[in-house]
Amino acid sequence: MRAAIAHIVDDDAAIRDSLEWLLKSRGVAVRSWESGEAFLGALSAAPRGCVILDVRMEGMSGIEVFDQLLARGFRLPVIFLTGHGEVQMAVAALKRGAFDFVEKPFNDNQLVDRVIEALRRDEVVQHELEAEASVAARLARLSPREREVMDRILAGEANKAIADALDIAVRTVEAHRAHVFEKMEVHSAVELARLVGRRH
Amino acid sequence: MNSPLPSSPLASRAARPIETRDWQWYAPRAAVGLFVVALIGLLWVLHRQEVEENRAAVIRDILWVEQSMRFSLDRDVEQLRQLGEEGLAGRDAAHLEVAVKHLLPNSPGLLEVVLLDERGVPTASAPVPMRPNGGAWPGLDSESDYRLATVTGKAVYSAPTRSMEEEQFAVFVPYYRRGVLAGTVAGVYGLNAMLANLVPWWLAEKHRVTIRDSAGNLLAAKSNVEARGAPELTHQVVLDPPGHGLLLHVESYGSESRLLRYSLTATIVVLACILLWSLRQVRRHVQRRLVTEQELRAEHAFRKSMEDSLDTGMRAVDMKGAIVYVNPAFCRMVGYTESELIGHGPPQEYWPPEEREHIEEVLRAARADGSSGKEIELKLMRRDGERFDALVYDSPLIDADGRQTGWMGSLLDITERKRARERVRQQEQKLAATARLVTMGEMASAIAHELNQPLSAIASYVTGCLNVLQAGGASPAELRSALEKTAQQAQRAGRIIRRVHEFVRKSEPVRTGVHINAVVQEAVSFAEAEARTRRVKIQSQLSPDDPELKADPLLLQEVLLNLLRNGMDAMAATPAEERELKVITERAGQTVTVTVRDRGCGLSPEVQAQLFDPFFTTKPEGMGMGLHICRSIMEVHRGRVWAEQNPGGGTAFSFCLPMIS
Repeated sequence: MRAAIAHIVDDDAAIRDSLEWLLKSRGVAVRSWESGEAFLGALSAAPRGCVILDVRMEGMSGIEVFDQLLARGFRLPVIFLTGHGEVQMAVAALKRGAFDFVEKPFNDNQLVDRVIEALRRDEVVQHELEAEASVAARLARLSPREREVMDRILAGEANKAIADALDIAVRTVEAHRAHVFEKMEVHSAVELARLVGRRH
Repeated sequence: MNSPLPSSPLASRAARPIETRDWQWYAPRAAVGLFVVALIGLLWVLHRQEVEENRAAVIRDILWVEQSMRFSLDRDVEQLRQLGEEGLAGRDAAHLEVAVKHLLPNSPGLLEVVLLDERGVPTASAPVPMRPNGGAWPGLDSESDYRLATVTGKAVYSAPTRSMEEEQFAVFVPYYRRGVLAGTVAGVYGLNAMLANLVPWWLAEKHRVTIRDSAGNLLAAKSNVEARGAPELTHQVVLDPPGHGLLLHVESYGSESRLLRYSLTATIVVLACILLWSLRQVRRHVQRRLVTEQELRAEHAFRKSMEDSLDTGMRAVDMKGAIVYVNPAFCRMVGYTESELIGHGPPQEYWPPEEREHIEEVLRAARADGSSGKEIELKLMRRDGERFDALVYDSPLIDADGRQTGWMGSLLDITERKRARERVRQQEQKLAATARLVTMGEMASAIAHELNQPLSAIASYVTGCLNVLQAGGASPAELRSALEKTAQQAQRAGRIIRRVHEFVRKSEPVRTGVHINAVVQEAVSFAEAEARTRRVKIQSQLSPDDPELKADPLLLQEVLLNLLRNGMDAMAATPAEERELKVITERAGQTVTVTVRDRGCGLSPEVQAQLFDPFFTTKPEGMGMGLHICRSIMEVHRGRVWAEQNPGGGTAFSFCLPMIS
């Protein structure tokens, strides 16, 4: 698993530097960006970790950066740093899926706690995404007939009924069933249902 | 009174126009015509009467002439007979001559007496003696008359005959002696001579008296009047004796009285004509006057309606300042009726008592100047005591002779205008105040953000250091770097604070001379809108001498507004009818004190102790800066601000300031 990184986006060098120092002091990997543009420009196809975004910045504001992230479909957890009179803006961002906001001046270790939580959340989300991706890959391996048989198995039909419905021999159904279990990397119908049912 | 303008009673009466009725014009004409006719009728009647009288007089006179002729002739006949009977016949002619000489003067018209003997032969005559070859027969063709006389024995007259230059006639008087015709005495008369003697002069003055024969031929005449044209009247009587169809004729001619009459009549007619003409002239004049009057009335009505519809008040005063004219707008403005105002001298009812001297002085000054149309702003009073601001333009009132009779003034109620101006000004000030607040808010926000950056950084560094120390195994070099950065950030924060200080120092108060009452009134007017919504009554009790200070009026207002708002906040729990703020300005020596009293919850001792500390507040949304700012402003102005218990409950905030020395 790749290391989770906290991205700090703030136009104030002192804030960047001090936050880097603080997060590192708790063992969090950090990467700083001096503007929203620089951060967005450097993002990989599947970024990991979390983002600490200052709302008030020269150039792109924190909210605009957040909008861009949403537009690109990245689900990185975002923590906003807000100043005086910007709380409403932050609340609005929260409703649209931001992870949290912290008002300046902040309680530093609380901020670090929130960052760690955010990183954890990202990991969980990432894990789920990967699981989903592997199920999809397994499903892709099935032949059309095997897919048909699997659907009926998931619908709870017995081998005899499936054979009648598909007008094939029961022995053939059993062979398909064995292939499906093998390709989907499961040992029972219950296990199959748990894996696939989430997608259906 | 020498009223320079039409007084209103006249004006109100002017509405009904005078109608000219035709009969008003025809009646005098008809009267004049009838008068003339009557006069002429009277003259005619008089003339008729005169003519009748004349006629009667003429008849009387002519009868009298005829009678006297008859008497004269009759008497002559007797005397002639006597002459004959006395036996003069046959006696000597001399005796006859004497007798005739006596007879002639008394017998008018008798020219000659001839004696005839019994055979009818003339024997003697007188006064002309008979010629020896025999006397002429008295009268021509008169033997028949002689014979008739001798036969009848009575006197017989012959027909007149022309002899020599005049008509003559004879009378034959036979006489008898002892019953036997003894002879005849003949008298020869001249008609002219007879008329000349018998017609009196006064008759001849007026009339032409003639004797004519039956054919109308003129035989004799007597007249002193010229026969001009036709006679006015004629009359004739039969003249008998001598008979033979002789007529005594009288012609009366119009005398000068007739001329007078004609001229009188003519005069009357001419006068009547003149009368009619002048009547016509008068009528034309009156008609012209009526037309002019009509125009004048229309003009007057137009002006009146214009005056009435005017919003500008108009009033005219005479030289002594007594009102001689006001228009309805003026009456509306001051609330008095026209009759109450007219004739009223200064001071006027609509002058506020406290402004009287000022108004008199201003008016006197403006009028002494003499120039017209000068603009004066006065404070006047309505009947109900309400004061209002009026703009007065006074100009001299000049009558038709060019003499000044007083002053005409137009008044404009500018209270509304002034109020509107005031409102606009207040709006602007409110806007400015809001803008100031917005700016202050933004500045505060900017400062907060600026300060947040280094403060956040410091906190982060320090927390990081603590984390590192706690974890142990930290290298001093690492920590040192972090702490140095912390120090840098602390310096950064210090710089920001210094910048703010510098900024604040730049906005030093602008001190000008201000009247404390004006500042208070302005602040109260600002606060009033808020006070209304919070149902708070604000009462001002201002120092009458309105002290002047050297201060920044905006800052003073800021202080007052703060205190007023605090007062309103303090009374949030007070019953609505008791919510009253009282603002008092007082002067004691060289110090001015302004107090704002509320009837609110009051202050606890511990609150009172921290009242002016920054960020101390008892309000959930308060910043705790208001009273602190007030104290700062007062310190800048060398004054101070304090709070104490209001004797009637609540709190009294006061501030005092030194006056301008």
